[in-house]
Amino acid sequence: MGLEQFKNRNVGTQNYTMVDAGHSPKGVLCQFKQVVKRTFKGELFVGLWVTMKAMLKALFANDMHTVKYPFEKLPISPRYRAIHDMLRLLESGHYRCIGCGLCEKICISNCITMDTRYDENQRKEVSEYTINFGRCIFCGYCAEVCPELAIVHGSRYENASEQRAGFSLFEDMLTPIDKLNLQQEYSGFGSVSPNADDNIKQTPLAY
Amino acid sequence: MSEVQTVDNMVTVTIDGTEFKAKEGEYILNAARANGIFIPAICYLTRCSPTLACRICLVEADGKQVYACNAKVKEGMEITVDTPNILEERRAIMEVYDVNHPLQCGVCDKSGECELQNYTLHLGVDSQSYMIPDTKREATNWSSVLHYDPGLCIVCERCTTVCKDMIGDSALTTVKRGGAELDKSYKESMPKDAYSMWNKLQKSVIAPSNGTGETNCSDCGECAAVCPVGALVSRDFVYTSNAWDLKRVPAVSAHSSDGFQIYYEVKPTSIEDRTEKIYRVTNEWNYVSLDGAARFAYDFQNTTATKDTKAFNSAIEAFKKAETIRFNSMITNEEALMLQTLKEKMGIKLYNPEVKAFQTFLNHYEAASGNSLWTTDTDAIMKKSDFVISIGCALRNDAPGMKYAFNNVQKLNKGAGLYFHPVGDTLIPTFGKSVEVFNHKVGLEEAALYLVLDLFADKEKLPSDVKEYLESFKKSSTKTIKEKEVKTVKEMVLNEETGKEEEVSKKVTEMIEKEIEVTTNGLVDLLGGDASTFDATFEKMMKKKESFSMMLGEDLYYHEKAENIAKLAALVEATCNIDIVMTPPKSNALGVALICELDEAQSGYTVGYNENGDFRLSALGTGDLDMPAMNQQEGTLCSITKRVLPTNAAVEYHGYELNDLMKVLVGAPELTIDWTEKLPTDRGFKAMAFDDLPNSFENDGRDNRGYKLETSNVKTALPEVEKCDEDAVLEGEIAYRCNPARQFNDFTDKSHEIFETFSLYASKEKAESLGSRVEVIFDNGSITLDVVADEKMTGDIVKVPDFKASEGVYDLFGASRYKTVTLRKVQ
Amino acid sequence: METTLIEKLPEVTWVGSLIKAVLILAIISALAGFGTFIERKVLAFMQRRLGPMHVGYYGLLQIAADGIKLFTKEDIIPQNANKLIFMIAPVITAATAFIALAAVPVFPDFTIPSWIPLLGDTFVPSIASDLNIGILFVLGMMAAGLYGPLLAGMSQANKWGIIGAARTAVQFLSYEVVTGLSILAPIMLVGSLSFIDFNTYQAGGIGDWLIWKQPVAFVLFLIAGFAETNRTPFDLLEHEAEVVSGYATEYSGMRWGMFFIGEYANMITVSVIASIVFLGGYDVASMFGWFFIMAKIALFFFLMLWVRAAWPHVRPDQLMWLCWKVLMPLAVVNILITALVMMV
Repeated sequence: MGLEQFKNRNVGTQNYTMVDAGHSPKGVLCQFKQVVKRTFKGELFVGLWVTMKAMLKALFANDMHTVKYPFEKLPISPRYRAIHDMLRLLESGHYRCIGCGLCEKICISNCITMDTRYDENQRKEVSEYTINFGRCIFCGYCAEVCPELAIVHGSRYENASEQRAGFSLFEDMLTPIDKLNLQQEYSGFGSVSPNADDNIKQTPLAY
Repeated sequence: MSEVQTVDNMVTVTIDGTEFKAKEGEYILNAARANGIFIPAICYLTRCSPTLACRICLVEADGKQVYACNAKVKEGMEITVDTPNILEERRAIMEVYDVNHPLQCGVCDKSGECELQNYTLHLGVDSQSYMIPDTKREATNWSSVLHYDPGLCIVCERCTTVCKDMIGDSALTTVKRGGAELDKSYKESMPKDAYSMWNKLQKSVIAPSNGTGETNCSDCGECAAVCPVGALVSRDFVYTSNAWDLKRVPAVSAHSSDGFQIYYEVKPTSIEDRTEKIYRVTNEWNYVSLDGAARFAYDFQNTTATKDTKAFNSAIEAFKKAETIRFNSMITNEEALMLQTLKEKMGIKLYNPEVKAFQTFLNHYEAASGNSLWTTDTDAIMKKSDFVISIGCALRNDAPGMKYAFNNVQKLNKGAGLYFHPVGDTLIPTFGKSVEVFNHKVGLEEAALYLVLDLFADKEKLPSDVKEYLESFKKSSTKTIKEKEVKTVKEMVLNEETGKEEEVSKKVTEMIEKEIEVTTNGLVDLLGGDASTFDATFEKMMKKKESFSMMLGEDLYYHEKAENIAKLAALVEATCNIDIVMTPPKSNALGVALICELDEAQSGYTVGYNENGDFRLSALGTGDLDMPAMNQQEGTLCSITKRVLPTNAAVEYHGYELNDLMKVLVGAPELTIDWTEKLPTDRGFKAMAFDDLPNSFENDGRDNRGYKLETSNVKTALPEVEKCDEDAVLEGEIAYRCNPARQFNDFTDKSHEIFETFSLYASKEKAESLGSRVEVIFDNGSITLDVVADEKMTGDIVKVPDFKASEGVYDLFGASRYKTVTLRKVQ
Repeated sequence: METTLIEKLPEVTWVGSLIKAVLILAIISALAGFGTFIERKVLAFMQRRLGPMHVGYYGLLQIAADGIKLFTKEDIIPQNANKLIFMIAPVITAATAFIALAAVPVFPDFTIPSWIPLLGDTFVPSIASDLNIGILFVLGMMAAGLYGPLLAGMSQANKWGIIGAARTAVQFLSYEVVTGLSILAPIMLVGSLSFIDFNTYQAGGIGDWLIWKQPVAFVLFLIAGFAETNRTPFDLLEHEAEVVSGYATEYSGMRWGMFFIGEYANMITVSVIASIVFLGGYDVASMFGWFFIMAKIALFFFLMLWVRAAWPHVRPDQLMWLCWKVLMPLAVVNILITALVMMV
């Protein structure tokens, strides 16, 4: 797609549709006629009726738009990027994070830090992990780059805090082990696309 | 010398249509690299012999496919890097490497530095055509510092190659691993080289060459440095950090005098502690190989230092009343110059037992030879020497750089070597078939030099008294040997056709006993060799040899006849075609020797800098005033390669520096590195500012770090040398002041990855006879040490380490490295 | 509770008048507060919102919360303000609004039961002070209320305040003319200025309501009433989009609250006048008479809110144009026609 249409800033030649704003009355008589016409046309009552109708619908037809926010919450899109969650493997319950450090590397606001070590099972273990939500801009790169779908964006968007720096540790974000059955598979930013299989080449296997 | 490229040995080659100059006899790959042309290669290491494991460096030279790492350039050679056929081969090879290589890049310690990954992407491998069942391979630890994951290993054999050709330990080898057989159909369907590479790869894995699960080596970690994948990693580093998070600080190894180029790689300690710490040390492994101390002794920084004004003021007081400053060679040139300034302005004596003998020896050498410094260096030896002689140097312990050079000459230059040392070592003979080891008696180093004179000197040039002296060792004796002799016998034979008898000559071989005159060299016998066979061996060693070098070690500086030895060395240089290199005893001994006027002994109130004293400045954090350790300060160091090398601060330091004391005592510039351009130009230094010093290697491997010390050469007459003093020989129980490999000083000892203990080291048999703990009694004191068996030592001499300054080992040994001692078992 | 006919009225003592005055003050200020709650709720509903919900059941105690807030807020007087006038101005608004209510029959009259000590058997009248010039007094007091915003705006040393004050003078003075002229026609018909007489005049049922005889006067009075009480679409005095908060820009806390109470008291007054003058007032005879007048007042009050939700502001020039070129001539014409009809 070319950028011509964006680069053409000569607004005068574009195809604007002029709204029919009528024409101003000329002369005292015309003005008077307009006043009379408008006065007795009852436009003002149309306005009154519209608001009244809205009120009646709101009160009696359950058309109230208010969400009592702290007590009620609207569902958010899976692509919404709120406070991060750390997911577990459903089969074993072990956390998914392998400590690769890609999120730490890609983070453009430099808010992710992690310590890793060689554990007893000869695996890389995340010994500590923290996100500084005072710096996080919720760009979603960490979730997108994560090869294990371990760090994802969750649905907690209330991140007001008393201090500028607010740190979340690994355990704070990790799915509690007793709530593993409630863990939702992530379908937002950085998740596997439904047609991912079509986009990769198969590697032959000797088994 | 390495810097000199004479025009006459250059050839012209054409690579991908562009003409380049290359050194004759150089491998195509090296020529290309020197000229900035990229030829992919995985298994080749610049200063080692071609392994031919990866076969990816395939190029077309004059219409023939050759391996660039193994084919030498010829005049007018036309080289094409990529042809369709070669590209097909390379891609197949890369696909094979990727078969069953675990896709655990996420946790692999290579993290983006992986050559397998790089080449896979470079060659555009985006699909896989081959498959084979995998074999389970367990990760193991080979030693206290090495971690090997065979699952990641691509058996490029770089580790085994570097260990054999450079380090000399030959501690690694490829072994069979019993992988599945390749499908027969691949033989037809696959490119030829890829198939044979795979065939070999599928069968092998790397393992310690001694057959056990553990390497018995010097733990230098060079194998891990050269590993292109994450298979070989330092145990301490496994999974602790991604490479991309580490900040590289270019520096110089602080411990040995080799001046190894290193990078300290730093990163914040942890989430809680954001002060930076050193996670590992890396190096430009194509151009420099590190020893264990350079690689693993990195965390010796002085972390507790603060600006303690009280201690600072008492330090000022101490300096004001001090008569002597005692220090060692763990000091930068700038600091050495500061101490020298103190001597000049305040009249304080400088006492440095580590360097004093070396400085004296250098002065004797300069007086005798007219050379201000030795004439060659370890890099030059590796590049061109094919015959090396080592005298008075415990190669394995004192000078890792020399050991690498000695070994590299044997392996790469098809060289030969003579090794003179009283302490038997089982490793040196394994460097090459043409290595002759003389385990002479302690004190006979002069004899070794006389032997060198006898073997190599141009007899015309030698002074007559030396010539006579050498002749006096020659003994003639008669020896009966059986020899084949061919005789022509004439006999009458009846010719059957003519019926006449004719005289026919016939050759008949018969064995006869013969008495011959044999000349044996008494010097060889004196030095513990076998004079009767030596001549023949030596003749074999000398075949096709052109460039000779001699390494002189610390033993000579502490020899009773050090002056005579220095003269002999000068004589060798003057009369033989031999270049000399000397190893400065410890890290910056050369710098101290050049800058400071050292005094004979200490007296009165003494300020110790990292040494014992009445007031102690210490970078170890144990003294009365904290000083920055070598990884916390900027400055320059002098190396065995006669270079002044810049090093940088890797970790924070919060205390006072020597320069702060100087400001108060005699006045000083703002920064320590402001002293760099004031280094004495009459001793070879240049008036260059620290920030102007370059710090890199050229593409062809030339060292471009810092600058080379200016050396002068004054024509002098041949020195008058004394005869070998055979009475100097020590008999009885002998202790040798020598550190275990990887230990050099208190700082290496402080580092957590150095495990060698402060103990008495002895050969296995000797250790068994000594028991677990002994008291070593000198004439002027004693020291009690645990006994550790060093499997590579032979003979009865025991090694007493000196790396702990507080133990005062230098004082026990005095002006010698060997002492007769009494060893008493202690329970 | 017993409602009495005018003729049978017992004597009004000064104690009764005092009690009535206190009652009016207490109840109307409470109602004014409640009015804010109602306004917020109605506007919210018309915008499909819920309005205040959390303080008390359905947000009923929001007014209490607001009151506490207003009372406890710091009393800030700008440095360059004319302090005395600045402090008095809100009182003028509130006071005139309540004084106007003195001549308006607000609640039914009653006698305090005799068992209550001290005040037993005291008669409390429906009008605190049944003046024979009731309407004139009410209109006059409301007109005097213009000094509140005018002085407030001029004393606070703030440009928005000055503009607000100027608008106050222009708007209130102009519409005073329309109010007076529009209500003159009904007064001519009734022939009295007392609200009681108006009530009596229309006592005959819906058919007797003056709105049928004087529809034009009713519309004119309503429009002028909106302007007098500073309500949308004529709330130019403190129009946020143009003059920040107009005459009230520098006010905060309880002083600002007094403007608010005055405005709502005025709204109630105008509603009461309109109910009594045009919609038949209260039915003295009926048990539900008082209920009906309350309903009528509520209707007008609601109308004000409804209009605010539906209609946009007018421009100041349109306001003047409307006043002098449309409403005032219409009112004069209306008086002339009424007079002619009465003569004939």
